Amino acid sequence: MGRLLKRLRSWEGLLLVILLVVLAYNILRVPNFLTITNQINLFQLGIEKAIVVLVMAFIIINGEIDLSVASMMGLAAAIVAVLYQNGTPMPLAILAALAVGAAFGLMNGYFVAKLGITSLAVTLAGYIGFRGLARMLVEDNSVGDFPEWFNRLGQQGLIGPVTLSILIYIVLAIVAALVLNRTGFGRTTYVVGNSAKVARFSGVSVERNKMILFTLSGFIAALAGVLYAARLGAVRSSTAEGFELDIITVVLLGGVSIFGGVGTMLGVLLSTYLVLNLRNGLVIAGVTGNTQTGIIGLLLILSVLLPNMAAAARSRLKRRSESAAATRAPTGAGSGAGTATG
Amino acid sequence: MLRLASGHGYMLPLREGRRQAASEAMAPRHTASEDAMERAPAAANPDELRPVFEAEHISKSFGGTQALSDVSLTLYPGEIHALLGENGAGKSTLIKIMTGLQQPDAGELRIAGEDVRINSSQDAQRLGVAAIYQEPMIFPDLSVAENIFIGHTDRGAIVDRRAMERDARATLDRLGVSLDVGEPARGLTLAEQQTVEIAKAISLDVRVLIMDEPTASLSAHEVRQLFRIVTNLRQQGVAVCFISHRMEEVFEIADRVTILRDGRWISTQPRAEVTVASAIHGMVGREVVELFKRNRHEPGPVRLSVKNLHREGVFDGITFDLRAGEVLGFAGLVGARRTDVGLALFGIAPADAGEVELEGRDVHIENPRQAMELGIAYSTEDRRQLGLIMPMTIAENISLPSLPRFLGPGGFIDFAEEVSTAERFRKRLAIRSNSVETPAGSLSGGNQQKVLISKWLETNPKVLIVDEPTRGIDVGAKVEVHQLIDDLAAEGMAVIIISSDLPEVLAMSDRILVMREGRQMAIFAHGEATQEKVLSAAMGQSGDLFPDGSAAAAVAAELDRLVQGKGLEAGQ
Repeated sequence: MGRLLKRLRSWEGLLLVILLVVLAYNILRVPNFLTITNQINLFQLGIEKAIVVLVMAFIIINGEIDLSVASMMGLAAAIVAVLYQNGTPMPLAILAALAVGAAFGLMNGYFVAKLGITSLAVTLAGYIGFRGLARMLVEDNSVGDFPEWFNRLGQQGLIGPVTLSILIYIVLAIVAALVLNRTGFGRTTYVVGNSAKVARFSGVSVERNKMILFTLSGFIAALAGVLYAARLGAVRSSTAEGFELDIITVVLLGGVSIFGGVGTMLGVLLSTYLVLNLRNGLVIAGVTGNTQTGIIGLLLILSVLLPNMAAAARSRLKRRSESAAATRAPTGAGSGAGTATG
Repeated sequence: MLRLASGHGYMLPLREGRRQAASEAMAPRHTASEDAMERAPAAANPDELRPVFEAEHISKSFGGTQALSDVSLTLYPGEIHALLGENGAGKSTLIKIMTGLQQPDAGELRIAGEDVRINSSQDAQRLGVAAIYQEPMIFPDLSVAENIFIGHTDRGAIVDRRAMERDARATLDRLGVSLDVGEPARGLTLAEQQTVEIAKAISLDVRVLIMDEPTASLSAHEVRQLFRIVTNLRQQGVAVCFISHRMEEVFEIADRVTILRDGRWISTQPRAEVTVASAIHGMVGREVVELFKRNRHEPGPVRLSVKNLHREGVFDGITFDLRAGEVLGFAGLVGARRTDVGLALFGIAPADAGEVELEGRDVHIENPRQAMELGIAYSTEDRRQLGLIMPMTIAENISLPSLPRFLGPGGFIDFAEEVSTAERFRKRLAIRSNSVETPAGSLSGGNQQKVLISKWLETNPKVLIVDEPTRGIDVGAKVEVHQLIDDLAAEGMAVIIISSDLPEVLAMSDRILVMREGRQMAIFAHGEATQEKVLSAAMGQSGDLFPDGSAAAAVAAELDRLVQGKGLEAGQ
């Protein structure tokens, strides 16, 4: 019971409360809101982003960022479209897109892990470069006319009303949660995000962890891009533009610290569902798209501010009680601050 | 009689000869270098030599540790005053108080006879107190002239580059050096950067210049150049407070010597009255209490053999054997590079050259993972930044280096095994916490240290390197850590203990390797090592800095004799 209370007081608890409020509003305002079909539609609208959110959570917990995911989605979609248009069989085109995603992800990882360039710069380059490649491939055209089965996979239910994308999302979400909470890889991700130095001084291969994560990020983004192409049935050079910010927003709103080391998959899943519902609810309430974005931005600011303010207040209290004891230590105090979830 | 000594305690007044020298030193300012000196001399009448800086009865504690208690220091214009003391003697704290970085709990500061409070480094600057450190604080992209005048706010809103460069040149002239003042500071050598720092201080009318180990990274030639500058400053009436671990340098340049030990003032004497032996004795002269009684036993076969280990610009010629069941102490002062040897053996910053044999097998250690697999563990001196993940639990910290051992099929962590392992260490090392699922950050320093050692013991090392294992932990935990190291040795572990705590190294080690600025100075057996011998070796010059026949060469020879164990009685 005590543990449950503690859970509720955590960031995840707060998210749950907000989610319930939004859900209640949606249920009251929309007939049949809780039906499977409606819920699936809800998910289907942002499913590609939701998939990338899963891997982005790992990246940010690891203490890095990947700004290139949306451009990667666009590039993968463009590769599929252009290859198919030029006579490559669709399965092969998909494989090629996925391979390119993994390869560019590996490249990002190499620059970040081996060369030590900050991921902000590396993936900003990817953000521009991948989009540029997509533009070169698609130019100003809209490339469509995919095989019928491809469009069907993107748009229609595979098992009952559940689409392939949602199925992939469910499987990936479960895997992501298990890996992050229960495996050595997940533990290493937290450790590196908390302190890459301690990790290194403990014989942990920081480089390997980061390389794997960025490769996965590229691969999953490419997969999401292919699914997006299948759902839309046509690809433009601007496909998935701006998605990276939505994706990062959801991860941070989920309680993952932008400084790394802190966050749970539960929080990320809750915030994914919350944002989907919020957008849905706002649409129902007749709020325009721009205002929706503003409200989500406000939520994000709060989500970053609140935990940090709480942590700052806590550490100030702690410092006062410990008085000067901490300054005595030559390394100084202040680890442990800025890492609370709230 | 002149009022030379401050009114408290035991402080030798300046002697006749010294005073005359000081008076003479001040004389030229009124003639030859009149225009170079913008400021009136501290004492208008050269016979009346008043202290420019006084720190009286300064006390400062951090938490429970008394860093300084009742320390006094008086600086006269035109003197070079050396501050001597071991690691932790309180030198750094005293400097921080003098430059406004820290506030004393008790005591007074006076500048030119007036009571002052120095609340910030801006205050210190305004009052004419400046400090330069081993690593100069230079803006690499600004020019030499801009760096010199960076602290000036009174030169108007618009920078007159030509006037600034002219003034910069004039300032450097006063120091007797020439640098291209228009060039960016980026290309300067360390010594030149220090010169710029000194020029910066001079341009702000410095009256007290504190130099904290300014020579540690300089070549012999550069040291001589620095000394010329410092002597020049003395001539101009600046009080220089000089801190160095190089005994020769102190004897070469200082007019007076103040010795601190364990945060207390021990003595202030004119240099001529100080001998090498008496200085060493003053620095270590605490009563020798047997800190910890080791269970000595005959060590086993050689486990780790290191020959001529070398890392460019860091350390050189490190050669030792470490036997099973043996504790080898690494002693030395700050900057001795002991930790770097540990980091090399653990593969964090691998050696460039030299041989390492582990149980008779040649090994090349390239990274920590490999070192761990070979059975070498390194427990860092920096628990907070490098040792533990503070927000993570005790159990998670202990399993970290050996995490692969806790993984089942599919890479899943065996949480039960992880917790029970941590529990085992909690009991064995008496880690005081409610459970092993407590965050490491909430533990006391001593218990954090035990977690840190636990995480390395869990890797089952053949060689355990512990770096400053008792720094910043309370006495009780200290004894426990010592007991643990003794037990490990008894079980046949080969242990290297790197410690700046001289009594600790003496008590814990079977043999003691003394380092000084990256060089191995001596290895003493437990029976022959004394504080005096170890410190003499740690303070000896590693290169031929001064020519034969100079005072410094004599000091070096005397240090050598002390290391051999001769001449100690002279210090009584």
